[in-house]
Amino acid sequence: MRVSILAAAAVVSLAAAGVAYAALPKDKALAIMHARHEGMEKIGDTNKLLRREITSSAPFAPAVKSGAATIFNLSKQASGWFPAGTGPEMGNTGAKPEIWKNQKNFQVKLRNFQTAAAAFNAAAAAGDINAAKARYGDLGKTCSACHDTYRSEMHH
Amino acid sequence: MPVRLVHWTLAGLIAFSWWSVHNHHTDWHIWSGVAILTLLIFRLLWGFVGSSTARWTGFIRGPRAVANYLRGGWYGIGHNPLGALSVIALFLAVAIQVGLGLFAEDEDGIYTGPLSGLVSIETSDRVAGIHEAWFNVILGLVVVHLAAILFYRLRGKSLVTPMITGKAEADPRAQPMRPGKWWIALICLAIALGLSRWVVAGIPPFGP
Repeated sequence: MRVSILAAAAVVSLAAAGVAYAALPKDKALAIMHARHEGMEKIGDTNKLLRREITSSAPFAPAVKSGAATIFNLSKQASGWFPAGTGPEMGNTGAKPEIWKNQKNFQVKLRNFQTAAAAFNAAAAAGDINAAKARYGDLGKTCSACHDTYRSEMHH
Repeated sequence: MPVRLVHWTLAGLIAFSWWSVHNHHTDWHIWSGVAILTLLIFRLLWGFVGSSTARWTGFIRGPRAVANYLRGGWYGIGHNPLGALSVIALFLAVAIQVGLGLFAEDEDGIYTGPLSGLVSIETSDRVAGIHEAWFNVILGLVVVHLAAILFYRLRGKSLVTPMITGKAEADPRAQPMRPGKWWIALICLAIALGLSRWVVAGIPPFGP
């Protein structure tokens, strides 16, 4: 599982490097930005549901399971959400230009997020609520770690 | 003394709350809000059992008293009838802000107020928007507050010095101030800390 994520990330970063030379057509860039926005919003909304479930006195395991799966699947898609040319110069976005200035660091943070989402999903799928709680905490930290540096406030 | 301590701590915490939320320290922002909640509860109680100048009944007056003050017919100590309105406005505005913050959650659902689990996600998101907008009300009141200080300063009266030292020249006709008792202050503080702790736990019997 982890190997496949790493492989996917490697392929995408290679692709991103290629794209940096051949500029992304505008319609394609906007489509990716839209998918990114919708995806991130979905992750946020799912997280809100999950937080309520996980912090409640009796978490409902199936709800945690499906939420974890949603975030895990979106986290895999996130590898394709940040090609060069999809920053604020292209359109309204919360993605800061620093993402493409510090690609190496950004990719590490993105991978941390994907790894944490996979671990959380594994714990939730196994039905281990206590483990899921702990992995959920780790996951939240990877969100903040990236957003603190690479995401600007975006009002829409 | 408790009044002055609450005042300056509150001023510092409001500034800190603003700074922390704009610098990716939402966790600190939430704790700052809880600290403000504690201060407000303490001040509320102290306004009933504290020193004579701290008591709500001691300085909250009707419009007639405000008009009388403006004509120069007031010679008490502590907050004058007009200043009392400012105290009330600020106290309420900050209380509303803290109340909203308790139920708010951020855009990503990563940071949540301690009571956000008691309301729906939609409500919590809406509350977060109001919480953000309401800060402008507080900012407006702070501007009025500072403008009043400047106004009195220009007329030769410092409002800041007595707020630091606790000493001001009193009119000989004024009733002297009756200080509160330190152990009553401690009880108020204990109650304020206890209630805040309860809120942090998420209410009902110590949890949502």
